[in-house]
Amino acid sequence: MRSAWLALRRLPTWSFPLAIGALLLAVPLFEPGYDLTRQIELTLILALVVSGLNISLGYTGQLAIGQAAMYAAGAYTAGLLSASGNTNIALHIVAAGLAALVVGIITGIPGLRLGSWSLAMTSFFLVLLVPDVVDIFEDSTGGHLGLTSMQLPTFFGYVLEPNDLYFAIVWVTIAWFAIFRNVAVSRHGIAFQVLKQSPVLASSLGMSVYRTKLVGYAIGAIPAGFAGALLADLDLFLSPESFGFNLATGALAASVLGGSVSVFGAIFGAGIIQFSNDQATNFAEYALIFFGAFLLIGGVLLRGGVAGFMRTVVARLDRLAGLASASGATTTQAEGQPAAVARIQGGRLVVDNVHKSFGGNHALRGASLVAEPGQVTALIGPNGSGKTTLLNLVCGFYRKDSGSVTLDGVPLLGASDRIARRGVARTFQTPLIPPGVTVRDVVISGRYTVDRVGFLSAILRGPRFRRVRRNDLDRAEQVLRTVGLWHLADTEAVALPLGQRRMLEVARALVREPKVLLLDEAASGLDEAEVRTLAAIVRQVRDAGATIILVEHNFDLVLDVADRIFVLARGSLLAEGTPAEIEANTTVRDEYFGVVGSEARK
Amino acid sequence: MTLIYAGLSLGAVYALVAIGYNLIFIASHSFNFAQAQLMMIGAFVTYMAYVKLGLSSALVIMLAMAVVAIAASIEERIAIRPVADHQTQLITTLGFGTALTGVAQLIWGTEPLPVPFAGGDRVLTIFGGRIFPVEVVLIAFAVVLVVAIHFYTRRFMSGLAVVAMSQDDEAATLRGVGVRKLAFAAFAITGALSGLMGVLIGPKTYAVATLGAALALKGFVALAIGGFGSMYGGLIGGLVVGLVEQHVARYLGSHFTNLSVFVVLLLVLMIRPTGLFGRPQERMV
Repeated sequence: MRSAWLALRRLPTWSFPLAIGALLLAVPLFEPGYDLTRQIELTLILALVVSGLNISLGYTGQLAIGQAAMYAAGAYTAGLLSASGNTNIALHIVAAGLAALVVGIITGIPGLRLGSWSLAMTSFFLVLLVPDVVDIFEDSTGGHLGLTSMQLPTFFGYVLEPNDLYFAIVWVTIAWFAIFRNVAVSRHGIAFQVLKQSPVLASSLGMSVYRTKLVGYAIGAIPAGFAGALLADLDLFLSPESFGFNLATGALAASVLGGSVSVFGAIFGAGIIQFSNDQATNFAEYALIFFGAFLLIGGVLLRGGVAGFMRTVVARLDRLAGLASASGATTTQAEGQPAAVARIQGGRLVVDNVHKSFGGNHALRGASLVAEPGQVTALIGPNGSGKTTLLNLVCGFYRKDSGSVTLDGVPLLGASDRIARRGVARTFQTPLIPPGVTVRDVVISGRYTVDRVGFLSAILRGPRFRRVRRNDLDRAEQVLRTVGLWHLADTEAVALPLGQRRMLEVARALVREPKVLLLDEAASGLDEAEVRTLAAIVRQVRDAGATIILVEHNFDLVLDVADRIFVLARGSLLAEGTPAEIEANTTVRDEYFGVVGSEARK
Repeated sequence: MTLIYAGLSLGAVYALVAIGYNLIFIASHSFNFAQAQLMMIGAFVTYMAYVKLGLSSALVIMLAMAVVAIAASIEERIAIRPVADHQTQLITTLGFGTALTGVAQLIWGTEPLPVPFAGGDRVLTIFGGRIFPVEVVLIAFAVVLVVAIHFYTRRFMSGLAVVAMSQDDEAATLRGVGVRKLAFAAFAITGALSGLMGVLIGPKTYAVATLGAALALKGFVALAIGGFGSMYGGLIGGLVVGLVEQHVARYLGSHFTNLSVFVVLLLVLMIRPTGLFGRPQERMV
């Protein structure tokens, strides 16, 4: 048993989908008959729709249920082309994909601005509009009576037999799922998951939140368009009833049931919905109840759907077979012997006289700070003195009321993702790590905006994609070795203890080779050994040339590593100087340690 | 005038849906996708109680309120409580609503059923416009309900507690507010109200299983126009949607009603994403 499992696990992961694809292509050899063939065809078409949902719902975290409308847009595009004499199925598929993409972009733009409910509703609204739009163009679409004037599909002049059409559907499905899988495992797939976990994190890594969402949503529309074209050519009849709420909720149920954050769960979920929907003739009456129940079960009990469940099972079997290296056994290695950090071009950050109020609360009143490249600049002060507010202003998460922030003399303006792309990286007080992503991939997500790789390159795995990928892996390894987490590279990142998650955040910020590195209380919650490692890393990065700003409560660490210290109190600068000067400054001591002194009594 | 009355009364129906969304939103920060389906169930129960059982109006109202309150309580238990994040609650409440639609279809079929109204169906003429008694009651009910809820949340401890909870449930817990109990109560009470709404909207919209989806969307548009969490906003938003819909149906044709409401929704989201009465929030790290 054990050796059989180990042999199975040694196969490359893509061999299973390959086997399923080969099986599907071999189905006609067994002469399955009309009913089963049709069931498989409809399942694959539904799976295409569901895979689009998986991209927008599972990967980008946007609940968009308008796939049915994009499916309809694709189907009617193909149907109208066919009715007007353009019967080439390849043309249908391309045109339908484009039509769905256009519908997706137009409706995504307003809905995405507000996120969850708004998008759910605007996309759901689309489904309601399908019959109306079809009726308005009744002359060409046949209205609610249906479009009947379609002709047999051809492929560059060759008329497709039913059997050929089956192959066409299988090939399109295989091609799309290969594309989907390549995107999902690329840095774009990781970026989507980062965004889903935290828009704040995504923008601090330089991703434009809105654009990334829109791209995910729009890409999710394409397979729905393909599915529409295939349906049109399969049935040679279209009526708006095929694209109603039943389909919309059915597809959503399939996505949730199969596992939204998975590539191949879509086929499984679609299979369940399709087969349970049609097998018994009187089942259709109960369909809505079942779809509703599936949604409830999927949402409540089956987090991650069947795919998530399978992953847990595989992980457990791996452990039983002794495949996974027990984490923690090798923790001793590499600690305190960081690898060298490559040369970094730091930038001079100047904060001049900034003000920021929240309502009547003046968080910052005229705070200033200068951070030089190749130096560690510490920012200290009691709770509520405005340290984190200042950091958020620099990163663009807040807008300053007045004052200026410049990097190398050029003002740092605009949204946080633009500022991040100018070379400002940061860590968070509470580490933000997306779930379901390995340590290595978390680090690589930090490089999303460093070398841009287009989607096309990621899909085709072209030379540029591979070069960047190799570079990403190398850099990730180097940085992980620096922070002493390399032995955990394949572990799921959220499972790490707090101290290691902080180190991971530092690694994610470092991998971008930032001009300015902002560490927001990076030492809190670390044990002494970890603080020493952190101090060593900070020195290394400083020596490499970066500008480091350290917001810290740990006074010993600050005295240890800082070259210059700025002390904030009640939103303005109390003192600045070298560690020795600050240590000797009595006002600072009173303020910082809460000793009742003249300053504190006011 | 008749056109305006028709728009206002239809708008009142949408406003009621928006009020239902708002109550749940204020009490538990969840979005209840199944709100309109709860009202649909109320309309069906009203039909059954009047036509099949021949009950008196008082009993009909009580029955509808009780049945829908129970349905909403079940929803809270299986679709809200076990699910921590609001994103997943969208899916589970949608699932619950879909199941309700399925159940309604199974029991009552797909044909619209006429629901009688206690006030009769003799057309009234007010200021030269013609209006049904139920439409007058619908508009009045929506307005009174909004005003009553507004006063309740300002004047009573439990109302304040609900508002506190919507601002920060952890802080409310620390102040001794039983957040879970209150959230459950909010669902049960909103359910009872939805039952009452069902009694009133049934004569206007008929009891039909597909009612849920259409109402859910129009109610959401009302909410988007008014701003999330704003009761007055939801009322005005609902009336606007109703008026737009009736005028478009009259002058452009009924195919364009949904499209026009959709356009209104997109415009609001593009121009004023927080709605007319919503408050923008500064982002926090």
